Amino acid sequence: MKREGFFAERVYPVLFMALVTIVCISLTSGIFLSTEDLVRSNETLFIRRAVLYSAGIPVPTNSQEVMNLYSQRVEEVTDSDGELLFYRIQGEAGTPASFSIVYSGPGLWGEITAALGFSGDLSRMTGLDFIKQNETPGLGARITEAWFKEQFRGKMGPFVMVPEGTARGSSEVDSITGATRTSDAVLTLINGGIEKAEKIIALGGGR
Amino acid sequence: MKGKAKKVFMDPLGANNPVFAQILGICSTLAVTNVVKNTVVMTLGLTFTTTLSSLTISALRKLIPSRIRMMVETLIIATYVIIVDIVLRAFLPDIWQQLGPYVGLIITNCIVMGRTEAFALSNPPGLSLIDGLSSGLGYTYVLLIIAFFRELLGSGSIWGISVLGSQWTNWSIMIMPPGAFFMLAVFIWVVKGKILPGEEKK
Repeated sequence: MKREGFFAERVYPVLFMALVTIVCISLTSGIFLSTEDLVRSNETLFIRRAVLYSAGIPVPTNSQEVMNLYSQRVEEVTDSDGELLFYRIQGEAGTPASFSIVYSGPGLWGEITAALGFSGDLSRMTGLDFIKQNETPGLGARITEAWFKEQFRGKMGPFVMVPEGTARGSSEVDSITGATRTSDAVLTLINGGIEKAEKIIALGGGR
Repeated sequence: MKGKAKKVFMDPLGANNPVFAQILGICSTLAVTNVVKNTVVMTLGLTFTTTLSSLTISALRKLIPSRIRMMVETLIIATYVIIVDIVLRAFLPDIWQQLGPYVGLIITNCIVMGRTEAFALSNPPGLSLIDGLSSGLGYTYVLLIIAFFRELLGSGSIWGISVLGSQWTNWSIMIMPPGAFFMLAVFIWVVKGKILPGEEKK
């Protein structure tokens, strides 16, 4: 339909757009605010699951059990400004504590964030888990499969990636066939994380 | 009216399918169809968006000044997409992480935009709802068929469950973007070359 005149052509569209915008923004903001707590607790849960996994502790499927286990075993060590440095994980009866750090680096498509776990004397890794990654599903995203993550347990870097299925030495790990650049990115991430862990854990009086 | 509603509903499922006839929404067709699970979530998101945005815009169609209609359409579509994004993030965080930017990209999906612009602006809300829903369903079944074959051939599994066994060699190309081009082309060839002409002759 055709409307004419100053109001219909100039004022009305502006008012209409403003009104629609206000309605849409209130709607999305309302939903965002009402799910904010849930989103935050999901993020916390992801991190806690990863920290436990990286310490070699079997992770329960139930999220409440994850929270309980975490509060029993894990201590968050902060610097004097309250900034999180690393996680100290209580060993089973009598065994020394181990450490985990959360470390990020570039992947092929987006940032990869991982929890890296180390034994108390930093002589070997207790494991690692990915908290956030955007790699190609079926190729690069296979870094989240158990076989890939498990191969770091008990080994220590700096790591070298070798073709899938040929890792032998204590610093060799299998890369992923078809995902060379993700494998390289993860290698850089982990080796960088090891360096950072050595610095940061000494700093926090961990050793 | 009943006959018209039926035609509006059936059209996007068959001869006028948004993906294989109009070749719209190809970006997400290529991007998310390498794993069936992600595809299901993505198609649900798109169907939700295209249904409700068609309904909303049709209900407002007499109020929307024609010179700013694209802005209004985009804003309303974006609102529904953000709702999908937030809901996924809160309730299905694992899948939300895997879909990454593609949920947000529903905003620019040509199917949603095309249906609001071409249909909802000139038809009553009821028909627009049916049109939006069936366009979403038309997109859904095409993507699911493509995803089924891509995951089966590329990973030897369906819904993450291995079905082809360990002697199967994965066709890595099927889970990469080029595999989607091949799969989509084969699909269009089969449907348009083998199935649709037969229907028309009847």
